[in-house]
Amino acid sequence: MLDYLKSNRREMIAALVLIVLLAVYLGTHPRGASTYVMTIWANQCLILGLAACAQFFAVVVRGIDLSVGAVMALSNCVASYLLDGSAFGIAIGMVAVVVVGALCGLINGLVVVYGRIQPIVATLATASIFVGIALLLRPTPGGAVNYDLADAMTLDVLGIPTAMVIAGVAVIGFWLPFRRTGLGLGLYALGSSEQAAFQSGINTKFIRLAAFTLAGLFGGLAGLFYSFVTTTGDAGIAASFTLNSIAAVVLGGVLLRGGVGSLIGALAGAFILKTIAALMFFSGIPSLAQPLFEGLILAAAIAIGGADVLRARNKLEAFS
Amino acid sequence: MKKLLLSSVIAMASSSVAFADTYRPECFAPAPGTSTISYDAKDGPYKIAFVNGFAGNDWRIQAIQSAKAWAARPENADKIDEFTVVSVGNESAAQIAAIDNFIAAGYDAITFIAVNPTAFEPVIRRAERAGTVLVPFDNVLDTDKVVQINESQKDLGALKAQTVMDILGGEADKILMVNGLPGNATDRDRRLGMMSVLENVDGLEIVEVVGNWDTGTSQKVVADALATHGQFDAVVSQHGSAGSINAMQDAGHPIVPMGVDGENGVRMLMSELGIPGVSASQAPAMSAIALEAAVALLEGNELPQTVFLPIPQVKSDALEAGVNYFPDLPKSFNTGTGYAECFTPFTPEELLGQSPDDS
Repeated sequence: MLDYLKSNRREMIAALVLIVLLAVYLGTHPRGASTYVMTIWANQCLILGLAACAQFFAVVVRGIDLSVGAVMALSNCVASYLLDGSAFGIAIGMVAVVVVGALCGLINGLVVVYGRIQPIVATLATASIFVGIALLLRPTPGGAVNYDLADAMTLDVLGIPTAMVIAGVAVIGFWLPFRRTGLGLGLYALGSSEQAAFQSGINTKFIRLAAFTLAGLFGGLAGLFYSFVTTTGDAGIAASFTLNSIAAVVLGGVLLRGGVGSLIGALAGAFILKTIAALMFFSGIPSLAQPLFEGLILAAAIAIGGADVLRARNKLEAFS
Repeated sequence: MKKLLLSSVIAMASSSVAFADTYRPECFAPAPGTSTISYDAKDGPYKIAFVNGFAGNDWRIQAIQSAKAWAARPENADKIDEFTVVSVGNESAAQIAAIDNFIAAGYDAITFIAVNPTAFEPVIRRAERAGTVLVPFDNVLDTDKVVQINESQKDLGALKAQTVMDILGGEADKILMVNGLPGNATDRDRRLGMMSVLENVDGLEIVEVVGNWDTGTSQKVVADALATHGQFDAVVSQHGSAGSINAMQDAGHPIVPMGVDGENGVRMLMSELGIPGVSASQAPAMSAIALEAAVALLEGNELPQTVFLPIPQVKSDALEAGVNYFPDLPKSFNTGTGYAECFTPFTPEELLGQSPDDS
């Protein structure tokens, strides 16, 4: 148990910070810890959480994905056309939305792997393309998403916010098993040292392609969930989510140099970021001063996460 | 908008057409063919919130100040238990979460400027269940389920065009139209309003330029239009009219009738140069009217579903320093400090005494 905590200390610190922030938030909310309040909070957190998962897959292989927000915008606009009508049509539509996201990711991967272009440049370019297509689909916000489905996804199951259930499924149903597969280990190998991974016989091209495709897939999921929350398509949502997804993974203990961190950390980082924003809500801090306070809390949270560098007897340990 | 029109047609068919027996129709004037809405009366004092989206321009800042000035007036302060303003930025999910939070916190009414006209259907239903009154204004929604406060953008456009044509005695050869941000419903409706008047003038040549509602852009495009077209009989401008006036002055264009916006600087120029015409605009004090409407609904009064407020306007001969424009205030100050039909407009001191922060 202690070993487990030690080897996952980054996630543990993030989780601890999250619990403290959530307690403060529920403490200051006039309504307190009710299902409704938890649902509002969880919906906000999960949108960014899924975007952070997308960013995680790009970052863990020592890349970065500046198109996360753009993939969300595109899949959100596609969803606004497909998620209304018959139950069967909607089911196909949901799959199609996620496939659109995954295809965007695959395109990113192909450009990075076979175009040999730095991820930061490649995804910056593809982001403009994705937003461009989204704008063609929805020049102004509009469209509709089936309200019953939207309610089912954004309210609660037996008092537990559906968004939390989805986050749980992503972790227990997907991440924990996935991490033990060859592909899951390959991500870390590639992110830690591409040369070593290559010499160990890992197909680095395939792993990188898979990582970017997974990033796109989670971007698509984020866009899909955004559609459930807003029940409409809007091409203008890209900007804020890309940068926040990067902040969230850093906050969740995922190192931008690759090879370190986990999906759980990325989710926790996103939840922390959104809880800080929610905390401002009933704090009574003037709105123009809120970005300052958010920034200060963010800096403090990252500093706590990085504090174990100070304990290191040898500076090289920090890079091990 | 199509949806809105359609829904108002349906509302008309269901025989609940708004008559003059709604609450204070001189202020909360019904839009043509709209239905009416009322809720069971609640005892005050009330908890009310204003959930703004974007906060980065003069209009929005003055809207927040107007809302606070309204809440600070003694006759309103008595009715309010708590009044909160938040600005959530340009993201619809964040605005939905903010509204949900206030519903959860037991607020009686929430006014807001919608980030997105189609994203609020589920939150409207949650508000209905919780008994919270929602009053969107300015950027209104594609819905017929809540009371919405706005000015008729078509009437605003038509007013400017009609005024200049009246001054010209109904005859003109060439008129310049300075439009707003393209691809936007507000720009479209204002333009349609202007066209509805100008199209009926025989032999009128209408020159249109895109001014983006911006003073600098307007100045440039009007200068270009003057260079290529020479002289105009009149000019109508949606917003950023100070730029149009400056460009005409620079080109040595004679003074002609103009329909312009309601910025302080525009009225200063109008008065200084003796430009005949009308100054009218979407007034930021609309935020206060939305709060007034929220309280009226909470007290059990009936209001039209779509309210088109009487457009605050000043004809050039009625311009008076210190009354409807303020030479010692910044040019960017919006003279839309209130709707005289609803309550005494705010004085600039009342507005400027309010911080643009949350309360």
